[in-house]
Amino acid sequence: MLKVERRSLICVLLAMVLFFGLMYYVLKLSLNGEEWATFEGNMLVYTNGQINRGSVYDRNDVLLLDCNEEGITFNENAKIRQALVHTSGDIYGNVSTGILSSNKGALIGYDFINGVYTRDNEGEDIKLTLDANACKVAYEALGYHNGTVGVFNYETGEVLCIVNKPAFDPIYLNNVEGAYFNTFLQGTVVPGSTFKVVTTIAAIENIENIEEFNYNCDGNSDINCSYNHGNVDFYLAFAKSCNGAYGEITNELGASMMTDYVKKLGLTNSYNIEGINTKEGEFLFSENENALAWAGIGQNMDRVNPCSMMILMGAIANKGEAVNPFFIYNSEKIFNSQNQSLGQMLNKDTAKEVEAMLKNNVVVTYGESNFDELDIYAKSGTAEVDNQNLSNGLFTGYIKNEGYPYAFFVFVENGGSGSSSAGSVAKKVLNELIN
Amino acid sequence: MGITNFDISIYTDVVRWIFVFLAMYILISNLQSLLTTRVTPEVWAYLNIDEKYSIPITHWENVIGRSSSVDLRIKNKTVSKNHGILMRNSNGTWNYEDLDSTNGTLINYKAVNYRETVTCEIGDKIQIGGVSCTLFPISLEEKKNNESLREKDKSPISPWRILLAISLFQMLTVVQLVISLGDGYTSMISLSMLGLMVLMWTYVLGFRMMGSRGFELELIAFFLSTISLAIVASSSPDLIFKQFIAIFIGLVVLIIMCLYLRSLKRSKITRWLLVLGSVGILIINLIFGTLKYGAVNWLELGGVSFQPSELVKVAFVWIGAATLDELYKKRNLNLYMIFSGFCLICLAIMGDFGTASIYFVAYLIISFLRSGDFSKFTLTFGGAVLLAVMVVRFKPYIANRFSAWRHVWEYSDSLGYQQTRTMSATANGGLAGLGAGNGMLKNVAAADTDLVFGMVAEEWGMIIAILLVICIITFLLFSTMSIVTGRSTFYTIVACGATSILVFQTMLNVFGALDLLPLTGVTFPFVSNGGTSMVTSWAMLAFIKATDMRKNSSLAIKNKLVNVGYSQEEDYNA
Repeated sequence: MLKVERRSLICVLLAMVLFFGLMYYVLKLSLNGEEWATFEGNMLVYTNGQINRGSVYDRNDVLLLDCNEEGITFNENAKIRQALVHTSGDIYGNVSTGILSSNKGALIGYDFINGVYTRDNEGEDIKLTLDANACKVAYEALGYHNGTVGVFNYETGEVLCIVNKPAFDPIYLNNVEGAYFNTFLQGTVVPGSTFKVVTTIAAIENIENIEEFNYNCDGNSDINCSYNHGNVDFYLAFAKSCNGAYGEITNELGASMMTDYVKKLGLTNSYNIEGINTKEGEFLFSENENALAWAGIGQNMDRVNPCSMMILMGAIANKGEAVNPFFIYNSEKIFNSQNQSLGQMLNKDTAKEVEAMLKNNVVVTYGESNFDELDIYAKSGTAEVDNQNLSNGLFTGYIKNEGYPYAFFVFVENGGSGSSSAGSVAKKVLNELIN
Repeated sequence: MGITNFDISIYTDVVRWIFVFLAMYILISNLQSLLTTRVTPEVWAYLNIDEKYSIPITHWENVIGRSSSVDLRIKNKTVSKNHGILMRNSNGTWNYEDLDSTNGTLINYKAVNYRETVTCEIGDKIQIGGVSCTLFPISLEEKKNNESLREKDKSPISPWRILLAISLFQMLTVVQLVISLGDGYTSMISLSMLGLMVLMWTYVLGFRMMGSRGFELELIAFFLSTISLAIVASSSPDLIFKQFIAIFIGLVVLIIMCLYLRSLKRSKITRWLLVLGSVGILIINLIFGTLKYGAVNWLELGGVSFQPSELVKVAFVWIGAATLDELYKKRNLNLYMIFSGFCLICLAIMGDFGTASIYFVAYLIISFLRSGDFSKFTLTFGGAVLLAVMVVRFKPYIANRFSAWRHVWEYSDSLGYQQTRTMSATANGGLAGLGAGNGMLKNVAAADTDLVFGMVAEEWGMIIAILLVICIITFLLFSTMSIVTGRSTFYTIVACGATSILVFQTMLNVFGALDLLPLTGVTFPFVSNGGTSMVTSWAMLAFIKATDMRKNSSLAIKNKLVNVGYSQEEDYNA
């Protein structure tokens, strides 16, 4: 009997295989459950290939889309539909950053504990932090230009506006090339002079007596300016966006220092915004003479992701502390990065100094009166791109109006001068948000 | 229906968690009772060694020898590692058989020849090698002591609360099905569930009155059957009454088998009948079988169709079992090997690879339990794997069936259709499920058989689904734990073989549906829709009951409260 008892261990072994195999599956389920639940073959949550539950609202409870057994319906206003298509998504899941593809699990109300169980199979009501009307204004302000606009609250991380053009109307089939692409999160642009913010921060923290900096711009150096800026100090070089002066500062900082700062300020990072990874920027330069200087003023091979630039601006405004943006309000079933501090991106004193310089830009160059009541701090940029008649306009910064701590990034393709093209888009959107 | 949607959803909202807690209560209290049992072994006699000390003999079948794995160990160099076997007869005498020991055995000074069985009585001298032993009786007082010790053993959990919990579970399930199925609800569902409830109470009350106490195994089976009815109600309501009848037949088979297994002699002789019957029915299946789901393993008889290979599974375990003396006879194992080979060939011809692999694993385990030959075990296993690889290699159409394995998401609308839906369903259900009748998997082919784990996980939740698997595992653990007090290796092997089959079958069913193994289309014991599978599962339960040596707990072991001095043995060799 004892012999048989010992041999029966083989049976126990068999039982253990069953048990641990099952536990392995449960582990797999906890990792992939959302993907499996949102699989198109799941007849419970799909009707005729379309998700049949859940709806999406903006911050003011404006309905953006509603999924039910009859199909998916979108907002009635065509402009709102187009302005928000990159956030809400389309029926066929072509817009990869849309809720309809990137946050399907949240939409159907999936979680590990309850599965897709919701009372009466209603799915989830997802409330976005976005303001549909502000997005519409941004979309309209871009006019016939392509471009991208983003605004977020740099204290809380709530994103108020993400608009990309080209866009399309999700109730029709799209035939516009590039319209599925969310440039703001997934793309990069040539930053032009907006990149001088990075060089400025590095200079404040690393060049002694930078306040005594002086440069005589004759407009004809190797790193040329479009105007003869004359004699400029550090503040004025930033406000006038003097390439010659910034070329010199960049060379003084050196390649490794510049590379470190670009990384430290998050421009070559990828951020996770509601499960979407933003595209990393690039800071590359060849061995050629002046290549580093060109890179230091945001031309040449530099690329930045619009969202990462907006985060940097938010950090300057927020006394150096960066905050991760999010665009879905926490509901029970959604895990997100709400109020997630990214830590101190630059030190407090530096932030204060850069802030003064950004204000100076507005006062000296862009004109405070052009921005109505906005307490605005900004840097413009103009990026020349090959094979293009007009350069791309950029405008990024933040406002400090009471109760409206918003940072923004605006990019207008072929917009020409940054402060006038992109600046006016920024003004319209911010005014809409404030009023 | 007069009930608003709002009311309905509240019901499911609450009840789906109540189901989880009820199931946990029912199953965990049963499992705990089974797995924490401590049994005082009964002492049948003593073996006195050199008039110095005595070893209690606690089994009916004992190996005497020097090695650490024998039952009666004599540490003396003149004793062989496995010297001889001492087996008890019904009349209180003992049979001794020498295992070709080096120094031989003398009984009452007479040498025991090789392969000779000598009957000896209490008081007889047994010279084992250079050690002289005597069979000592146990005194009447000791017998009584023993009895009172056994009285103190932890008794099985009382069945009444659990019965009430299962009944509540069944009633709540019926209401849930009324809500979720709407117009699809038929009165057959309530009738079948009520039938099961009546069956359950009648069984427990009836046998309790006759003195039985241990009902954990049956209660678990009744619970599993309840889930089975709910699954069938959801996926194929027309078949529910048939499923209830299968449970009824299964229960009757359990009772008959338990009573039949009481006599070891009868059980042993029956093996030959079973071999004949099995061979016959498999051959009939090969000739007259009908094709269903890609395998010719169905037989139709008088309007009832069933799977002979399922029924033969029960016989397969029975035939494989052997008493201790048989374990030392090679011929016996060889015959079993031939029989197993025959069964496997038949199943291969039928194209039923799932069941074939179950038979094969059962053969491996039973032959290992019998021989303890690990190298042979690995060799057979390795050979089979090699054979399988070769078959897959040279028969591309078979390989094709497995090509989606581990890649089902790439074949989600072809070969991986069922598995991907099953995995999706397990995600849908979460921990507490969507409520009986609310799933989507029920619309997929074979949802209530091959994919039943997915259906349970979707409609009842992952917690209950896991509990069902744990129940099957507990059957096995209980069987291995009972070996210590087992009367005969016959019952031990039968129980371990049967529960290994249940465990392996569950593994194929669950892992196949979840793409951890290729989908082979076998059933989940007690839960899958299907009459033959249900009856077989209950029959297997009889084998487990046959090892349950707890006092008055098993129907398969004759109650002996009345007869203190003369325990259990009346039927042993009847």
